Amino acid sequence: MRAERSTIVFNIMGYIVISVLTLLCLLPFWLIISGSLSAEDDIIRDGFRLVPQHFSIEAYKAVFSNPMQILKAYEVTIRLTLTGTVLGLFFTSMAGYVLSRKDFKYRDKLAFFIYFTTLFSGGLIPWYIMIVNYLNWKDSYLALLVPSLLSAWNIILMKNFMKSIPDSIVESAKIDGAGEFTIYRRLILPLSTPGLATIGLFLGLAYWNDWFSANVFITTESKYPLQFLLYKILASAAVLKTNIAGNLGADFQAPAETLKMAVAIVVTGPIIFLYPFVQRYFVKGLTIGAVKG
Amino acid sequence: MKKRLFKLMTVCMAVAMLTAMLSACGGSGGSGGSTGSDEGKGTDSSAKETTATTDDGKPDTSKKVVLNWYLLGDAHADTPKVVAEWNKMLEKDLNATVKLNFTTWNDWQTKYNLLLASGEKVDMLFASSWADFFKYSKQGAFLDLKDLLPKYAPETWKEVPEQDWKDVTVGDKIFAVPSTYPEYTPDGLVYREDWREELNVPEITDLDSIEKYLDAVKTVKKVTPIKGKAWNEVNTLFHSYYDFKNIGGDSGVIVAKSYDTPRDVVAYPFTTEFEEWAKRMKTWADKGYWTSNTLSIQQESGDFIKTGTGAVYWRNAPGASGFISDIEKNYKQIKKMGYFPFTRFHNYAVPNLGINNGMAIPKNSENPERSLMVLEKLRNDPKYYDLMTYGIEGENYTLNDKGEITSPPEGKDPKKGYSIASWGWRYAKNDHPSSSRWAGEDALIAEFKAESKPEIFSPILMDYQPVKSQLAAVNQVYQQFGMPLMMGLVPDVDKAIENYRNKLKAAGVDDVLAYVQKEVNAYADEKGLK
Repeated sequence: MRAERSTIVFNIMGYIVISVLTLLCLLPFWLIISGSLSAEDDIIRDGFRLVPQHFSIEAYKAVFSNPMQILKAYEVTIRLTLTGTVLGLFFTSMAGYVLSRKDFKYRDKLAFFIYFTTLFSGGLIPWYIMIVNYLNWKDSYLALLVPSLLSAWNIILMKNFMKSIPDSIVESAKIDGAGEFTIYRRLILPLSTPGLATIGLFLGLAYWNDWFSANVFITTESKYPLQFLLYKILASAAVLKTNIAGNLGADFQAPAETLKMAVAIVVTGPIIFLYPFVQRYFVKGLTIGAVKG
Repeated sequence: MKKRLFKLMTVCMAVAMLTAMLSACGGSGGSGGSTGSDEGKGTDSSAKETTATTDDGKPDTSKKVVLNWYLLGDAHADTPKVVAEWNKMLEKDLNATVKLNFTTWNDWQTKYNLLLASGEKVDMLFASSWADFFKYSKQGAFLDLKDLLPKYAPETWKEVPEQDWKDVTVGDKIFAVPSTYPEYTPDGLVYREDWREELNVPEITDLDSIEKYLDAVKTVKKVTPIKGKAWNEVNTLFHSYYDFKNIGGDSGVIVAKSYDTPRDVVAYPFTTEFEEWAKRMKTWADKGYWTSNTLSIQQESGDFIKTGTGAVYWRNAPGASGFISDIEKNYKQIKKMGYFPFTRFHNYAVPNLGINNGMAIPKNSENPERSLMVLEKLRNDPKYYDLMTYGIEGENYTLNDKGEITSPPEGKDPKKGYSIASWGWRYAKNDHPSSSRWAGEDALIAEFKAESKPEIFSPILMDYQPVKSQLAAVNQVYQQFGMPLMMGLVPDVDKAIENYRNKLKAAGVDDVLAYVQKEVNAYADEKGLK
């Protein structure tokens, strides 16, 4: 089969345009990498460059100056992300499944009840009081894990996805003598992999990127997740620029421009590898949210 | 369909009512809890009183307690070790241990709000005028220490100066223990003294000599003197040069006209001084003393000094001293730095309020008495003070025979230098100056002490509640039109000033001014200022 001349030309053009666009997308990221590998003085004097003038790994040395701390933080984050994603997927899909079953009598009311909570929130202080005074989760991993397990938005997404699975599948399984949980586990779950992948990615990213709960609830240094630990380094740098700096000792060293870049690399590094693995589900999955209702 | 809608509405109503009920429950539950703890405290202290008299006048410490303390900022890597050491002594002496928590610098304001609003059991907390001490006191977040102090911290009660206790007294109640460490933090400019000598420019003593210096650096050295964000440099210079005083922290465009006339409150953009200033700054900006994107740039001018591409940097006096000693240690190619404090414009310096740093006990503390006793020990016993403030001797610091501190000790890893937010309990008597401090620091402090006048503007408390929306509008105008004008970044100064004033009027600057004036008058009457 031979392509026509015009098709070839079109393809070549297409490749060129896409390549340029890809390069443009990669450029900022490359700038971060190159910045993190530059010498501090160069950046202050001349700004960021695509190729470092003087190659230096000082910034990474600074980030990993206390390797145990970073490794510990990685461990905390990875564990939280894994547990959170698995448990979160389980609960979300169960809730979504129940709500998608037409023979569930209070389905609309329950769905409304869940949806209703997205309209308002209690605010930070009640949330804090709830977790600290009533649940006693201050400085506990539970405060990082439990609150983001279930979200109304994810449940609705899941419900809508599962709605597209024909009822007859459930019926046929029933006729074959399957119990409710078997139907859910053996039929519904395998059929909803795209939905699960999407929500799994949402959950995973949410847990990976969550620094705020740690900021508010965690007081022991060894329990800090990665994002918060690195954010803390940057916040200390910001304080040095304010009046409070007058109170600090002269030896208090400001993290530098290059350090910020190195921190960004360290923190995006691992999670970026998640995308290729879920991507094939993700492309399909994203369209699900588009057909709502 | 209609029926369904009706049903939906019933559910809605039910949910709304349920939430209302639940929240009411929560509210009363919360207050009930706090009154409960109050009662507990009451009986506790009365029990102590009875035993206190039997036990040769000393407070009873038979019950072992764990105290929950909060400090601002980050812990040091060695903090757990230091606190463990410290608790060993403390357990022996006062039968208590302290769990030391840190807020970290991330959103620490939010965390203060949460800690104090949620009623968490915190026994002691770093407090400061710049960490909203006055606001929290007014809202009743702290425990009144007036009756506890003479009994549980007698030495502190005696030794803290009268004026400092006044600084932490809000409406007849004492809400914190201020640090006893007289400090001056006037604004000023750090500059490259070696360049000044090299270029043969007169010493910096006033605004004209500053201009000459900037000019020489720009034209001869071909270096932009203030290369980073120049806002602080110019804004503080403006206020200090004309002796315009901010009221109650940062009051934006509303200032008192001079130290001697606190009741004379004006909005400075309407003064002739501002006109004169804006015109002068226009010439400075045109000559390139700072860059034209100076308002959007995020880098600090100080960083440029370090790389030899800048010459001037705004710092308060202790900050300048830290900056200069850093340069002396790490940037040997810079031969000499100088510092010009703006106090020299009007020849007086104002010390910080006593409560610039201090320690307070939140209302929900379970053991305020013991917490206060621990603070008394910490402030007054050098053994406790040195360990908590400087870390472990030999490991984190060494002292020379003059009592000056070297932290970290010679030959140790620089990361061993111990530093936490110890400002709240600082006591000049026990404090050790750094052996590597900038040589000019002592002279500066002596200079400030000699011309000291009490601080009268910071304690004026304003929440701007009645003029909230006007203030927001004024601040908007200030940022959009006022800041470029201050930096001389407008094509036509006269037109820009007129426009700025019109916009301010439209935004309601007069209401804000009237509000501030009213508060200032009330304060001046109370304190008997003229």
